[in-house]
Amino acid sequence: MTIVRRSVSTLFLSLFFLPAMTVHAEDFLKQGKKIAEEGNGSPGSVACMECHRLNGGGMPSIGSPRIAGQTAAYIEHEILGVQKGTRYAPVMAGVVNNLSKKDIRSVALYYASVRTPKLPDVSPPDQALVGLGKHIAQKGLWKKNVPACVLCHGPNGRGVPPHFPYIEGQNKGYLLRQLVSFAFLKRKDDPQGLMRGIARRLSQRERKAVAEYFASLTPPAAAGRGN
Amino acid sequence: MKKGLLFLTLAQAGLLLWGGPLVSPARAQEPVTFQPPRDSEIPSGPFGDLVRKGELIFTQTGKYAGKYVGNDLTCESCHLDRGRKPYAAPLWAAYVSYPRFRSKNNKVTRLGERIQGCFRFSMNGTPPSLDSETIRSLVAYSFWMSRGAPVGKKLAGQGMYHMPPPARKPDPFRGKKVYAARCALCHGADGLGTTSDHDVVFPPVWGPRSYNMGAGLAKISKLAGFVKMNMPLSKGDTLSDQESWDVAAYVDSQPRPADPRKIH
Repeated sequence: MTIVRRSVSTLFLSLFFLPAMTVHAEDFLKQGKKIAEEGNGSPGSVACMECHRLNGGGMPSIGSPRIAGQTAAYIEHEILGVQKGTRYAPVMAGVVNNLSKKDIRSVALYYASVRTPKLPDVSPPDQALVGLGKHIAQKGLWKKNVPACVLCHGPNGRGVPPHFPYIEGQNKGYLLRQLVSFAFLKRKDDPQGLMRGIARRLSQRERKAVAEYFASLTPPAAAGRGN
Repeated sequence: MKKGLLFLTLAQAGLLLWGGPLVSPARAQEPVTFQPPRDSEIPSGPFGDLVRKGELIFTQTGKYAGKYVGNDLTCESCHLDRGRKPYAAPLWAAYVSYPRFRSKNNKVTRLGERIQGCFRFSMNGTPPSLDSETIRSLVAYSFWMSRGAPVGKKLAGQGMYHMPPPARKPDPFRGKKVYAARCALCHGADGLGTTSDHDVVFPPVWGPRSYNMGAGLAKISKLAGFVKMNMPLSKGDTLSDQESWDVAAYVDSQPRPADPRKIH
């Protein structure tokens, strides 16, 4: 009897709260889209879509990454890293400085939810490098203590949430610049310095080859789903 | 007094620099460094086909030898770099180390039989028969990779790294902290591994889909040596010896399938 009464009251409560929670999530998405479209309204704020497009396809011509369908946890982590200065991003630093924690969460949820086809890259895959890149990506370069990229980024680089982003089909300018940032510049938001070590041990030709290979693939609609 | 000590040290340093007959006996036993052949050296024809089949089974065991596998591991989960990495039980050294006596079976064991053991314990599965295509391919792959390796000599990086005895008794509670800081990122806080769209990316290190209690890595010393030299990937030899012992003690204190020899 008590149990029945309890479940009835639970049912009643959930009827009351469930729509409220859904609206909450929708609010986040709406707010995220607004920031993506026009910035957060603070003086001098810039819209994310200026570089990442409204559907998250990025802009290969300037090496701005495709972020559509990347996990919200990853996008949020990266924006926070740019704010804190742990992620080297001279252009983006000025853009995200004024974003609040809630803004960041919203815009991360928004870009995780959007889908877009692959945009044309700046040049066709460099056939002289794709083979080497594929070898490093799929089998590794263990004599330099570089494991295969797919061991952590998932089959073909489709991503392993929440920490390992998809790199499959990402544009080549972005990929190469990140490898260089990990190796020599100030990108240091990678867990345990894993990427810094790996990127540093690769030669510039090898970094370029890896970028060419992953850029030659078709990106997933969204990062691979976890357990 | 101090001057005397300094003199002694200088004298020792001089002796070391000079080297001389003191060093040479040790040098005679120095392990041989071996480079396995390159992929491009796999010959064409039936032998090459069997070698290539072996590599596929080795790296995608569930796909190419699924009926013998009882968990989420592949051969490559432990034998890193497709069986080529030193101190991750590389195949080029394994091939020239068999047949050998193993106390686990109390007999002189052939490589094929040893691989059967991998399926039974590390893969928690059913061993393929010695004349099965699976064992023939894996033996062919190992044979090919060992071409040119000297028999009867100690090879640098063979087998797993033998840990020096721990300074303090390995402690799973200290190990749990090491695990959280260095291992959970990939293998999960629950040790059950990580998938991406249902494909296993990071293998489970305990639980029903990991190696069983009869596997080599279920021994703390073996696991500690593996972790020390190989984990986290690309960061081998960054955990201290004690951290490696402790984290191995933690991982091997977790539940996993029973030793099949002890079930009946």
